[in-house]
Amino acid sequence: MPKILPLFTKALTDSWRSTLAWAVGLSAACMLYLPLYPSIGGSAQMQDLINALPPEMTKALNYDQIASGPGYTQATMFGLIGFLLMSMASVGWGAAAVGGDEESGLLELTLAHSVTRVQVVLERALAIVVRIALLSLLVFLLVLGLNGPSQLGIDVGHLAGAVLLFAALALLSGTAALFAGALSGRKVYGIAAGAAVAVLGYVFNAVGRQSPDVEWLLNLSPYHWAYGNSPVANGADWGATAGLYGISAVLIVLGAVALQRRDVGV
Amino acid sequence: MTQAIVVEGLRKKFGSREVLHGLDFAVEPGKVFGVIGPNGAGKTTTMRCLLDIIRPSAGSISVLGQDPRTAGTSLRRRIGYLPGELHLENRTTGRRMVEHFAAISGPVPPKHVNELAERLNLDLDRQTRKLSKGNKQKLGLLQAFMHKPELLVLDEPTSGLDPLVQQVFHAMVREAVDDGATVFLSSHVLSEVQQAADAVAILRDGEIVTVSTVETLRTAAVRRLRFNSSGTEAHDVGALLARVPGVANVAVRELKADGHTAGTVEATATLSGQVQPLVQELARLNLTDLVLEEPDLEEAVLTLYTAPSPRIGQSPGPGQPAGNGPEVGQATGRHAEGAHRA
Repeated sequence: MPKILPLFTKALTDSWRSTLAWAVGLSAACMLYLPLYPSIGGSAQMQDLINALPPEMTKALNYDQIASGPGYTQATMFGLIGFLLMSMASVGWGAAAVGGDEESGLLELTLAHSVTRVQVVLERALAIVVRIALLSLLVFLLVLGLNGPSQLGIDVGHLAGAVLLFAALALLSGTAALFAGALSGRKVYGIAAGAAVAVLGYVFNAVGRQSPDVEWLLNLSPYHWAYGNSPVANGADWGATAGLYGISAVLIVLGAVALQRRDVGV
Repeated sequence: MTQAIVVEGLRKKFGSREVLHGLDFAVEPGKVFGVIGPNGAGKTTTMRCLLDIIRPSAGSISVLGQDPRTAGTSLRRRIGYLPGELHLENRTTGRRMVEHFAAISGPVPPKHVNELAERLNLDLDRQTRKLSKGNKQKLGLLQAFMHKPELLVLDEPTSGLDPLVQQVFHAMVREAVDDGATVFLSSHVLSEVQQAADAVAILRDGEIVTVSTVETLRTAAVRRLRFNSSGTEAHDVGALLARVPGVANVAVRELKADGHTAGTVEATATLSGQVQPLVQELARLNLTDLVLEEPDLEEAVLTLYTAPSPRIGQSPGPGQPAGNGPEVGQATGRHAEGAHRA
């Protein structure tokens, strides 16, 4: 009796430990940061302190918007700590899915069985999508739960849109890692590619916001595509959402094509 | 009936380095075909090409009548493969690993996995990272045999197995062949292949040196000869041995120590080729002792490895002496161990 999507099922069950660990990390971040809003973002003293900081710094950290509940959530959770944790999880999974598996010598035996290479890439990519979706759903529920108690005042529809973008941004660095790993057969290239997408996206956004002379950098930043209009406060930019998911889909397909065309394990 | 494997003009380049220089061979269905050669000869590369894990640079391959490059999953379902370097996941048990591969390449008769595990004396519920090299190899064999494939491609299957489990493995190969399967296996030492294989290809530096049966190798192989004869002179014995075709390395000496009558001669020599002419000549002597050893196929093969090759000229290639040395040692070690157990 052939099992449905055996590689997908295996990828999910094999990674429940790491998924759980990232879930704990994200929960802790939400529960530490968001309840602090009333005493930080909402307080006049804190606002004075932020006004005293160099404006370049507040722009780089997105702290120019933390005076409102949605802006605070956007800047701290979605824009910084949550973004960092999700990107790390996603890049790790993406790099391990094909490149890491090949480097450790495991992929050879899997491919000797009755699977196609395209199937390997697609099923494992799907497993990454599902894990990111689970973690994003968790963040959605946590923020929703803290919305009232922490006086954040976030619109639920806007929050849903922001979480979609939060997931899309993480998925993009994960699929970049998957693609580079499938292309090279090396985990380290996957990590490098995924980290580059996440880090450069963040840096281009931080630098691009400093002055009109370098504003063009924003166009190169997936981080800015997703968060440029502060979606927790203003709702998702659906064009950006579709674009980010579209690029991820293309990267997954390219990964499948790359693996299909080359020698494995050499 | 079509051949189980047909390889024609197989070449493989990695970058600018060509590691297979045009292999041609065919494996008959229902037979055991062994490939032997030193490390780096191209055995693993050839096997990976059969499984479409790597792709040939030139030449054609037909496995069970299909091109592995285009045949897809249905062909690999009919093949059982044991990689030369077997890597297993750490955080799993043998049973979970086997179930996963069964889900992909099945159907696997449910009882069959347990039967194989029992025969191989393998605990499927242990964590794979705690398994010894030999036990990992057993797990690799199990996943290759479990779905009763029509073709078994086994890269160094007995590596790491103790002599008892090697016997189990040879029995499994015989049963698979009795059920109609074809077996393609490799080794860097002949002793592992000679028990199982009907035909043997010797691969060196990406070229097939020869394809022959174990019997043919046996006649080409060198036997050691030692005998004592009484009532003769040393130079007569030397002259007699010199007349026999295939005799070399003759050493003759007269024994005059206590307990020996004068005129007892001890002779040692090596023999390659037919035994009959030697026996006829020896019949003229008054033998008091005679030992004609089992032919050392290892040596026969080693002479083929190191024979001048058109590609590398008279001197052996860079890795070769280093490659051969330890293997000879390993082989003798195993023989000694085997004798010990017996």
